Amino acid sequence: MNEKQKELTGRDQWVVFKRLLVYLIPHKKMLSVAMLLLVLTVLGDVLGPLIIKTFIDGYLTPGNFPTGPVTGLALGYLFIQVSNVIISYFQLLKFQEAALKIIQQMRIDVFTKVQGLGMRYFDRTPAGGIVSRVTNDTEAIKEMFVTVLIGFIQSIFLIIGVYIAMFFLNVRLALITLILLPILFWIMYIYRKYSSIFYQDLRERLGQLNAKISESVQGMGMIQAFSQEGRMQDEFNEINEKHWKAGKRNIKIDGLLLRPAIDLVYTLALIMLLSYFGITSFNSTIEVGVIYAFVTYIDRFFEPINQVMQRLSIFQQAIVAASRVFDLLDEKDEAPAQKEAAAEITEGRIEFRNVSFSYDGQAEVLKNISFTAEPGNTVALVGHTGSGKSSIINLLMRFYEYEKGDILIDGVKVKNYRSSELRRKMGLVLQDPFLFYGTIESNIRLYNPDMPFSGIRAAAEFVQADKFIAQLPDGYDHKVTERGSTFSSGQRQLLAFARTMAADPKILVLDEATANIDTETEVAIQTSLERMRKGRTTIAIAHRLSTIQDAELILVLHQGEIVERGTHQQLLAARGLYHKMYLLQNGIVENVSH
Amino acid sequence: MRVFLELGWFFKERKKQYAIGIFLLMIVALLGVLPPRIIGFVVDEISRGTLTPAYLMTWLGVLAASALIMYVLRYAWRLMIFGSSIVLARNLRRQLFNHFTQMSPSFYQKRRVGDLMAHATNDLQAVQMTAGAGVLTLFDSLATGGFVIAAMAITIDWKLTLIVLIPLPLMAYLTNYYGRLMHLRFHDAQAAFSGLNDKTQESISGMKVIKTFGQEKEDVEDFRALSKRVVDENIRVARVDSLFDPTISAIIGICYFLAIGFGSYFVVNGDMTIGDLVAFTAYLGLLVWPMLAFGWLFNIVERGRASYDRIRNLLAEPVDIDDRKGALDIHPEGDIVFSLEEFKFTDDDRAALRDVRFKLKRGETLGIVGKTGSGKSAILRLLLREFENYSGEILFGGRSISDYKKKKLREAIGYVPQDHFLFSTTVAGNIAFARPEATEEEIHQAAQLAHIHQDILNFTEGYNTVVGERGVSLSGGQKQRISIARALMMRPELLILDDSLSAVDAKTEEAILESLKRTRTGETTIITSHRLSAIQHAHQIVVMDAGTVAEIGSHDELMKKKGIYYEMYELQQLEELVEQGGETQ
Repeated sequence: MNEKQKELTGRDQWVVFKRLLVYLIPHKKMLSVAMLLLVLTVLGDVLGPLIIKTFIDGYLTPGNFPTGPVTGLALGYLFIQVSNVIISYFQLLKFQEAALKIIQQMRIDVFTKVQGLGMRYFDRTPAGGIVSRVTNDTEAIKEMFVTVLIGFIQSIFLIIGVYIAMFFLNVRLALITLILLPILFWIMYIYRKYSSIFYQDLRERLGQLNAKISESVQGMGMIQAFSQEGRMQDEFNEINEKHWKAGKRNIKIDGLLLRPAIDLVYTLALIMLLSYFGITSFNSTIEVGVIYAFVTYIDRFFEPINQVMQRLSIFQQAIVAASRVFDLLDEKDEAPAQKEAAAEITEGRIEFRNVSFSYDGQAEVLKNISFTAEPGNTVALVGHTGSGKSSIINLLMRFYEYEKGDILIDGVKVKNYRSSELRRKMGLVLQDPFLFYGTIESNIRLYNPDMPFSGIRAAAEFVQADKFIAQLPDGYDHKVTERGSTFSSGQRQLLAFARTMAADPKILVLDEATANIDTETEVAIQTSLERMRKGRTTIAIAHRLSTIQDAELILVLHQGEIVERGTHQQLLAARGLYHKMYLLQNGIVENVSH
Repeated sequence: MRVFLELGWFFKERKKQYAIGIFLLMIVALLGVLPPRIIGFVVDEISRGTLTPAYLMTWLGVLAASALIMYVLRYAWRLMIFGSSIVLARNLRRQLFNHFTQMSPSFYQKRRVGDLMAHATNDLQAVQMTAGAGVLTLFDSLATGGFVIAAMAITIDWKLTLIVLIPLPLMAYLTNYYGRLMHLRFHDAQAAFSGLNDKTQESISGMKVIKTFGQEKEDVEDFRALSKRVVDENIRVARVDSLFDPTISAIIGICYFLAIGFGSYFVVNGDMTIGDLVAFTAYLGLLVWPMLAFGWLFNIVERGRASYDRIRNLLAEPVDIDDRKGALDIHPEGDIVFSLEEFKFTDDDRAALRDVRFKLKRGETLGIVGKTGSGKSAILRLLLREFENYSGEILFGGRSISDYKKKKLREAIGYVPQDHFLFSTTVAGNIAFARPEATEEEIHQAAQLAHIHQDILNFTEGYNTVVGERGVSLSGGQKQRISIARALMMRPELLILDDSLSAVDAKTEEAILESLKRTRTGETTIITSHRLSAIQHAHQIVVMDAGTVAEIGSHDELMKKKGIYYEMYELQQLEELVEQGGETQ
């Protein structure tokens, strides 16, 4: 909501609009049906007044009413009305259906694109923004299709139909009324020109306003703790005031150029009609029915124009929304590509060879990292925050592409494995275990319909999660809501373990899995971890050195470099950085200075 | 319609604008009756062949003049009525925001951010609609409808008017019925849409998990199914929505048919002229809007009333913690005595705290440890006076904390919460949050004390780097340290660190504790932590268990006692100290 509105020039808008139209192509069948129905509707709209004109001039003015023809006209009129009602219902429905289907396709395209993006993209883009692209922005485009574009098409068809009828009735008058079109287009042009500026300004102010409220409500505890209520109120009032002024400007521009202006043109059109008929009547006779028909046509002609004008702002919003959606679709930060080789991970030997890496292409967060994890061994990564531990895991998991050096699994470049092979053989447990909306079972199973329930239960038992699951009212069917907030972080951790164990990976990757947990739960977690690691190559990050003392290899990282390596005992004996960290963690501060 | 009464105070406040606006609206409605009538006159003269240039010019002149007047008046009433409605929105929004800033945490605990946002946005919008479009629709539809019917009945023929009006109530009824149907279906469509929204949100938050398990394709399939539901529900809406226009044109068609049929009969009988008939059909066209408008009016008013009720309820929520009469206008200083018998959170029967007593001398550090839910945070929140419904007393400098002005108490306390909340402004702005007037040096100093200065200098724009959506670009440890710097900026008499070092590594934690010890010699500090190393050096440690004090004493005393604290300590250090710790020392 609080993101900057993009500035789009007229040309940009046109480009975006044309690209939106491309989405119509797959639905051309449905759209043609709708168009055909629309033509029929317009035909009915135009024929009605013509019938009445015929009646007035043919029978009413002369004052004779032969039963046959008059009944015929009446029935004809009724028939047209009835069929018009039915046809226009389906016409409206078809158009809306098409718009909905178009948007659905667009949504799926965007979502699929998002799934294929690399983690780099998610690092720099707030989640809220991405969600807006997939749902709210596409919704704005839908609104445009339904309310503006369809209305626009209908208006154009109607205007064409009305002009054809007018030309049929009186060529000269029809020619004269043609002058209405440039006037209307001019008003539309002026309105769009100014309202797009004012309206965009209003939207922006509203965005700021909502962002301010949202942030203040979320951070109210802090605002109050620091006694900043007054300052926040002042800041808010300033934004509120600006928003109000922007609103007022919009009311003015709408008042000057929308309905009041269109109604003015309508009266002008009436004056034109009456003067034409009046002046002509001085020299020749005029058929009243023709006057009736023209008055009715002009009336019909203006209503859709009013409606389209009023909705032009939706068009504006939709174009801005669409340009954001297209930006996302054009995003180049895709997930690292994998070769489609048939290599298989059998042993699980991991080797880093002189790997260097940078997130932004400037500051290197990993410098020349080399190490080997033998099959079944545990390699622990320790170091200060920002030392590069997580980056090593990010590269191994292929969340980010590396350029320098190489990572090998069983002697094969990690880039050369099929994606599915890597995902199946490597299991990652995140620091913050993420639970999905669903049940305990669905969270362990994820999207693996073939996994038998016994497998799920075995996985839960393996990580000792079965005990607390058994205590839940519905056991494995227990609902998981709101990211699993009803569970303790330890329980969430155990569920994440179970999920990983159910997939039975060859390689286990633990990302700070043991931080932030109560001492008590940690005992259960430690036991499970030990079991999980058995027979699997494990790469683990741990804040607490106690959890990795039995690791075959401990790498101590500092500013992206491995500064020490060895076993726990070796590193302690070396009395280096690891030793210091170890003492600090045990609160043996006095020894550090020695 | 009751909502118009409820908003009466506002209409009174702006009675000039509303009176003028409505008056102008009436004049416009009255002038709107002219064009069809003029058409009728001219048609009659033409059909009789008696039209003279002077006659034509006169009426066209009237038409042109009325059109110009209408243009000006239409603009003017919009400014009056719509202009007032946004004043209402602005004022209510301001009231709401000011009210929000006075609400205590218990208020925010009961409500979700999304709901509060909805009140401040959608509900306000609905009330604004009521005061603007609602008022307009009410008066305009009555005036236009009334004047047009009067013009038809008086200037043309009252019998024909009655006949033709018969089908119109049916239109009002049907559109109203569709409206209700649509409302229900729209609700389902909204639910489907928000389901899709939740799904997307979840997929993006859980992206790493999805990637880890290689389930991108399956997730897209799930999304496809949900988006199909959105389409289906919306098609249900469209099925009703598409009924509106055809129904209206059907009924108008019937009206025209009646008008022409019976009208012709009257013309032939000489009760009416042909010009009258043309004028009559033109009037019919003018009646469509008031009929529809009445349906909309009920909609607008209904929404407006519900929304205004919600806003009023919110504004009526009392400020639950306020200053006492004659509250002390000084900053509290000195020893802290916490002597609490019992405290319960609202809506909770169990006592969150029971018999919690400790004394803290000025300048000392208190450590509070315990499992999650043992009551650590509750103690801190009582100290911050977020709740008052407890038995017992909390003294700060010899006076109850309730005796001080809330503002003064809070100004004396630097609080670093567990869930470090940063504002979307610059890093410097966040650190200087409590003291926007602070100098650059002071900000840097606080940052240095919190050991974040070096990190900040490495940011692309240093202290001017803007913190993203709730600080998305910072690591947890960095956010915690900025929060600490923010609290230190106040040079608080009492500094509270609520498990605020959890995401910081051991080395940084040690350094921060060291700098606190060095600089805060005369002031008091309270630290809660899961990690015992953070509180080990405190003068006094309170061990909380199930809402009460299990043990109290210094680290050495507690270790000697061999109770819970000792056990926790041992558990944390099990392997290090027992198995190999001896070897390394």
